[in-house]
Amino acid sequence: MKSYSVSEKQWAEILHKALSHYGIFAPVSKESTVDYEEITEKKIDQIFYDSIKPTTPLKAFFFPIKENVVAAKKQTPRLILGVPACDLAAIDLLDKIFLDKDFLDIYYQENRENTIVFGKDCYSFNKSCHCTAYGLNPYPEKNCDVGMSHSDGKFFLTPFSEKGEAFLKEAGIASSAREKLPSNVEAKRQSTTDGLKKQNKDIPDGKATRIGIEKENEELWKKYAAACVSCGACAAICPTCHCFLLIDKKNFEKIKNWDTCQYPAFERVAAGEDPLKKLYNRLKNRYLCKFVHKPDMFGEIACTGCGRCIDACIGKINKNEIIIEACK
Amino acid sequence: MQGKNIYKPLLFKLNKVETESPLIKTFFMTPEIPFDFKTGQFVEVTVDGVGEAPYTPSSSAWVKDKMEITIMKAGYVTQKMHELKGGKVLGIRGPFGRGYPLEKFHGKDVIILGGGVGIAPLRCLLLTMLQEEDKFKKIHICFGAKTPSDFIYKDWFKDLAAHKRVELLRTVDKADGDWKETEGVVTVLLDKLQVDFKEAVAVVCGPPIMMKFGTLRLLELGVQEENVYLSMEKNMSCGLGKCGHCAMGDYFVCKDGPVFTYNEIKNHPNIWM
Ligand code: SF4
Ligand code: SF4
Ligand code: FES
Repeated sequence: MKSYSVSEKQWAEILHKALSHYGIFAPVSKESTVDYEEITEKKIDQIFYDSIKPTTPLKAFFFPIKENVVAAKKQTPRLILGVPACDLAAIDLLDKIFLDKDFLDIYYQENRENTIVFGKDCYSFNKSCHCTAYGLNPYPEKNCDVGMSHSDGKFFLTPFSEKGEAFLKEAGIASSAREKLPSNVEAKRQSTTDGLKKQNKDIPDGKATRIGIEKENEELWKKYAAACVSCGACAAICPTCHCFLLIDKKNFEKIKNWDTCQYPAFERVAAGEDPLKKLYNRLKNRYLCKFVHKPDMFGEIACTGCGRCIDACIGKINKNEIIIEACK
Repeated sequence: MQGKNIYKPLLFKLNKVETESPLIKTFFMTPEIPFDFKTGQFVEVTVDGVGEAPYTPSSSAWVKDKMEITIMKAGYVTQKMHELKGGKVLGIRGPFGRGYPLEKFHGKDVIILGGGVGIAPLRCLLLTMLQEEDKFKKIHICFGAKTPSDFIYKDWFKDLAAHKRVELLRTVDKADGDWKETEGVVTVLLDKLQVDFKEAVAVVCGPPIMMKFGTLRLLELGVQEENVYLSMEKNMSCGLGKCGHCAMGDYFVCKDGPVFTYNEIKNHPNIWM
């Protein structure tokens, strides 16, 4: 894969210029968390390129928490920097659902089309990161417009799409000579991957997980559900969870609002029946959805190993502990 | 923003509302543009600013410029619907899902088993089939209700029974003085049919308990699993295979159903609830 190299200073200048056309979102560090922020002139220098995963999953840019999907609005062009591979991988499933040709979601489509996504290499990770357990590498390989590797005061920009190539060209980069990724970038990628594999050596892969989750195992689900308060944080923060509720406003407007099977009554029908009435069934449902039903429907598991649901759970329920135990 | 917006309802003018029973009303509507659907498909009905809920029309799929929907008062949205009067405008999205594959019913005995407000979508199916009555060998209708006064469409049954290819059987859980037809659960009607069950197709729609016992009895009588058609009721929001509310194993009921053969869903959990 070939890329263009730019100095940090050149890149900052490119962003300064880009601000006149684009909204820019990038990870900025707070004391203990990292999340996307809208970048202004002043904040360009505060962008944290070597961050761990941002708290907010990428999906929030394409499928916002709340979106009026009847009253027309135009998405202004955006750049999103610093997107980890686990979030990029999740786009496969979201595109299959929202860009389904039978029922194309023009709001999602517009949000996608007007965004240039910059994937990034992860050279650091936290305890919950487990992308490698599902065969993903911690650097961009798909679903971004430009891949970004940061090393020794330089950025190595790898175009993945025409949109990405065009942006780089306009910025005056794509005319300079292309190079292979330098060996120190390759080495950092390798050592991150090795570190992740070591950390995650006990986590079963998607196929093995399926077998474990499909077992009845009522006691196990009850045990873990005892700490669950149905807050839905695991689903909100998950890059692949796509459920929503349409909420009605006057003039036949509708708000597409994040929703989750972890909330009570998600599946309740008017007559009162509710297949997910019991909390432990709801907890299990999220795992069935990700490792059994989504593979049957879309040919892929709906977990990219980002680990956010582990970090977010106020009951300290650890997804991988459940899976390891279920697979015993 | 280009292309069709799947979230934006079409506007339907509500012409009148008729009371079928204390909890059930029929809404008569005219669409802003002719509306095409297949029997068995459903629509999402929006009460402006209140909410949206899924219903199968109860009028014929041959009629494009009018639509009737029969709705039972069961929750907040349906309560608001029941308060509406003629002259209001409703929003309709759809049609959604797969309908009944009527071609597969041609030349066969068709058993139609329904109970309670489940008779509403079956009215659509029957009106649609009766337009081409001769294509079916015979249509055996088995309807049940709690009491005689709980039957909806009271005036319709005479018309129905007059069709030469129709056999109409009705039962009530609890008869009153004037009731001359069957008393008992709806499955007892199945035992009265003179049909080659192995060759017949059956359609079941009604409360979960009736769907369950009706289906099991049909199978016992010899109807093939792939010839039993069930219309599944699930919580729904989008109707588009996106919001996840109607998930049932590896199906989104809104898109892959709501009509399934028993064969397609028998191994799924919670099909009867
Ligand atoms: S899970 Fe992998 S790709 Fe995602 S942030 Fe962690 S190391 Fe990066
Ligand atoms: S299930 Fe958890 S680890 Fe998997 S993608 Fe969702 S938030 Fe990340
Ligand atoms: S109702 Fe939204 S996916 Fe079926």
